[in-house]
Amino acid sequence: MKKALLYKELKKTKRVWMIVFLLGITLLFYLCLKAGRSFRLVGMEHLWDVVVNRDQFIFRDLKFFPLLAGVCIGLAQYVPEMVQKRIKLTLHLPLKERTIVLLMLAQGLLSLLLLFAAQIGGVLIYTAIYFSAEFIYSTLITMVPWYLAGFTSYLFVAMICIEPTWKRRIFNAVLATGTIQLVFISSFPGAYSQIIKWIILIPVFVMPFTFLSISRFKEGEQE
Amino acid sequence: MEPIVECKNLTHYYGKRCIYENLNFEIPKGRILGLLGKNGTGKTTTINILNGYLKPKSGECLMFGEKSTRLSPAAKQKIGLLIEGHVQYPFMTISELERYYSAFYPKWKKGAYFELMNLLKIDRKQKLSQMSCGQKSQVALGLILAQDPELLILDDFSMGLDPGYRMLFVDYLSEYAKSGNKTVFVTSHIIQDMERLIDDCLIMDYGGIILQMPVGELLEKFRRYRFKCDSPELLTGIDGLYHPVTIKGNTETCSMLDAAGLKEMLKEKKIEVTSFREEKLTLEEAFIGLTGKY
Repeated sequence: MKKALLYKELKKTKRVWMIVFLLGITLLFYLCLKAGRSFRLVGMEHLWDVVVNRDQFIFRDLKFFPLLAGVCIGLAQYVPEMVQKRIKLTLHLPLKERTIVLLMLAQGLLSLLLLFAAQIGGVLIYTAIYFSAEFIYSTLITMVPWYLAGFTSYLFVAMICIEPTWKRRIFNAVLATGTIQLVFISSFPGAYSQIIKWIILIPVFVMPFTFLSISRFKEGEQE
Repeated sequence: MEPIVECKNLTHYYGKRCIYENLNFEIPKGRILGLLGKNGTGKTTTINILNGYLKPKSGECLMFGEKSTRLSPAAKQKIGLLIEGHVQYPFMTISELERYYSAFYPKWKKGAYFELMNLLKIDRKQKLSQMSCGQKSQVALGLILAQDPELLILDDFSMGLDPGYRMLFVDYLSEYAKSGNKTVFVTSHIIQDMERLIDDCLIMDYGGIILQMPVGELLEKFRRYRFKCDSPELLTGIDGLYHPVTIKGNTETCSMLDAAGLKEMLKEKKIEVTSFREEKLTLEEAFIGLTGKY
């Protein structure tokens, strides 16, 4: 039963996942090419100077990609459920409601994890070739909040889509914007290194709100 | 007979608008109950409460003895649900839908589903999104029959079906329900279909239930009477007379009383009638007689 439910979730998100995956890989490839070109034109020493002493981050263009990926996967997964209130079919399946919702979220989060892992993997391999271990660590610490924002945006999209009233959807969207913005206040490399454990907690805290939307949907809340 | 569905003291409001108060009804095992009502009388509200997708202001619905808002997976497995508009997943093909749902229902009847699908003459690899409205409806109905549930809840099942398939489906469903001792709760805008299908009818008007009784009994007892009457204004408000209307001296009304009983009652009230005629009704006519034309 669980496998069948995951199959349906995969059917919905497969195409969007592929597009986002290709977009992510293309973007990464472009940034690597751009960095490689800089190596050749200005020399490695200068680039090192820019990166280490002037705190320029060569992968800063990836900043909003995870956010976009989270929104796209979320929309692909939950909009079809809300059109004609098809989620009624899903919730009527002979599984516990909590299991159904957790499986849907797990499928979405896992597909994002795969996207992000591929991209982070590419970044780490590239940096490992040209930079020191400290720089690799700094790159990771700089990028992790962006990817956490990607998971958070996905969870917010789930919460907003399933919510049955527009008024509350708008409120949730404002809440989502405010929460996610916290991670994008500073562009300084490693700016969030001291509070990264707290940033990890953001998606953990957002996740239960999907159940609130489900509960409001089941109670038949209307405008 | 043990009730499969019990609705107790249901009260629901949308804002300040009362849909109904203290609605009570039961669906006994093995019966086909049709819910009839004009637009806005609360049919879909009742179905939504029954399915657990609407919390009533007060009261509760039990299905297989469990609260409809907290059905166990075992209870959900026994309920086939057709959502208004024959909603299904448009991104799946006929075969994919079959494979998907078969994983959830142990009594899944693949043959029954494809037997119905073959009538559509559609490629099994065709997506639902590429089908006509009527074809989508037939797929949704086929999936429910393949599920082989003990209780079928069909909201406006005839919507989008062409006349031939509607009749075929009504006959198929009727036979399927009777041979398998299934319980069915059904709504439809087309009352002629209901007459062929249902055992009992539950007729709703604004604010509550007008009656719940076997269709046979209703059609046997409920009659339309036409007569000429000099003082039609006296007919208004008489218990047992439904919606008396007089146009150019010709009065039309419906009643559960037989002709002799009605004549006797009118005589007691000193209302003289002439050209008295009694007519048997179809379910649709009985419905209009009970709820009024307007």
